[in-house]
Amino acid sequence: MSLSVNQTKEGLESPYLPFPGVIERVTRVTEKERLFSIAPLNPSLLEYGPGQFYMVGLPGYGEAPISITSGPGETKEFELCIRAVGNVTNALHRLKRGDFVWLRGPFGTSFPVDEMRSKDVVFIAGGIGVVPMRSLIKTVLKDRQGFGRLTLIYGAKSPEEMLFSEEFDGWRGKGLEVLLTIDKPDTKWTGNVGVVTTLIPKVEVAEGRTIAVVIGPPVMYKFVILSLRDKLIRPEDVFVSLERRMKCGVGKCGHCQINGCYVCQEGPVFRLSDLKDLPEAL
Amino acid sequence: MKNIEFFRYLPGAAKAKSASGLKKLVNTLLKEHRVYGTVKRDGFPVYAEIADASELELFSTPTHLSAKQFLFPPRETLLRYDIRRHLHEAVIESERQAIIGLHPCDIHAIALMDEVWAYGRPDANYLSRREKTLIVGADCMPDEYCFCKSLGTMNVNDGFDIFLHKIKKGFLVRTASDKGEEIIAGLKLREAKPYEVKELEERERLREASFKARLDALPKDLPEVFASSNESTVWERIGSICTGCGSCNTVCPTCYCFDIKDEVKASLSEGERVRVWDGCTLEDFAKVAGGHDFRKTRAERLRHRFNRKFRYLTDRFGMPFCVGCGRCSRACLVKINITEVTNELIRESNKRRP
Repeated sequence: MSLSVNQTKEGLESPYLPFPGVIERVTRVTEKERLFSIAPLNPSLLEYGPGQFYMVGLPGYGEAPISITSGPGETKEFELCIRAVGNVTNALHRLKRGDFVWLRGPFGTSFPVDEMRSKDVVFIAGGIGVVPMRSLIKTVLKDRQGFGRLTLIYGAKSPEEMLFSEEFDGWRGKGLEVLLTIDKPDTKWTGNVGVVTTLIPKVEVAEGRTIAVVIGPPVMYKFVILSLRDKLIRPEDVFVSLERRMKCGVGKCGHCQINGCYVCQEGPVFRLSDLKDLPEAL
Repeated sequence: MKNIEFFRYLPGAAKAKSASGLKKLVNTLLKEHRVYGTVKRDGFPVYAEIADASELELFSTPTHLSAKQFLFPPRETLLRYDIRRHLHEAVIESERQAIIGLHPCDIHAIALMDEVWAYGRPDANYLSRREKTLIVGADCMPDEYCFCKSLGTMNVNDGFDIFLHKIKKGFLVRTASDKGEEIIAGLKLREAKPYEVKELEERERLREASFKARLDALPKDLPEVFASSNESTVWERIGSICTGCGSCNTVCPTCYCFDIKDEVKASLSEGERVRVWDGCTLEDFAKVAGGHDFRKTRAERLRHRFNRKFRYLTDRFGMPFCVGCGRCSRACLVKINITEVTNELIRESNKRRP
């Protein structure tokens, strides 16, 4: 059975043809986010790196760019953690095990894991930014001894909005220090209160051998980057992942542009020092 | 055979009247192509499908919309889907077409579009349509908005199949492709007489002297002008009068941003994914589903559009992405004029220089 058909006579390939994946599991993560395990019928779709994304589509609704949250090469499935915020993502939340989703990609750049080897890495995530960060964390923890000190600083609005909290103990057990902070604590919260930058001073930084990875809402970057500068981490050693509107995924539609740069092609993962001539970036 | 300096004579007026050379040409094209050409509708020169040669009329000033509509249509189907059969089919539709009446600026614009759609992951929809398109150019006379002379797009030596130069009694014809040559050879035209070529040269001199609008910098210096103008107050000023209507994007022959959306058929199980024109000056262009708008103000959106024309795409493709047709200035509801804005930025940039 062929579900994705390229019907052109000249054998031209449409970059817009999506390929089917079957939803194997849906897990409620928080009120707004669900975790989908998806098995693509075409296994080449599983060849992704941490930081990349798919255009995920549903006929009748359209497509949305969604970051991959699983670690590469783990299983015959990949995971997407999707927040219901728009037309497509709300429709995706109504899907069940056995339903099809339609995929194009993976698209975009990955985090340079090899460059992080034997270095200390500080992962700084805000809100839903932990979703692509999880893919990188899983990649790094799979080869834990290849890296130096690993620290995750993760901030969420409230304890209920904290994603993947049940996985933190497992990550700690594998040698990742997990520092958490909350904007609005509830009565049970005993940890840090405040934005993620309040935790950055607590991290020991070995100058010249520490890499920082920052993923969060637009407002977060400026403040985190200032704190990292105080810690003497060079812009060459800081990586960010940037969100933009996307329609095509192939560097044409124009929606994802930051100045002259196409995020779907040259991003979403950027080295901070490469953004200095892109005033629209941060 | 490519012989761009070889002119033949096609008799008749700029309207394809009976027995005129233009009518013969259109009728030849109609045999194997869907033909689009310039006509006057509601007082505006526009492109329309030509079913009969007599509908064609060649104009000396630009059409309202450019010919990009026939290569990158305002709406086109990318996919058909059927939910019941879990089926997605890629749709790449094209047919042999001829477009008549493109001025040099628009032929240059198509050359730029060819680069864009072939770049990176090639766009099969555009490229297959382009492959089957025959271009018949026609010469022009600048109005007060035309400024192609400042961008090096005033003349063309390739990028067309056939080119028609108007002289008093008829046209002088050039070809720049095998296809074009074959068609013109079939019309059995005589070679142009020396006095006719001389008349064309005089007309070209007149054309070159007739420009009113111009840019006060060379094309190669424009990226630097825009790179240094990010903080200019010009953006705030034009942003404060811009209505965000997107007309400049729509009429521009090199604007190619698009949206992709799904259209559901009445059966609800079938539908199409379509591509439609979008514009970077429109309000939600850079707004994500979560609500954050990465270009919140009209000033930022206009700055982006101007930079795309003179810097961003120039950095990527090596050529300005404005061909000087002046359509954006003509179409602007609040009279934002591309040469005036750019010249103001050039003046500011010159002042900043030591």
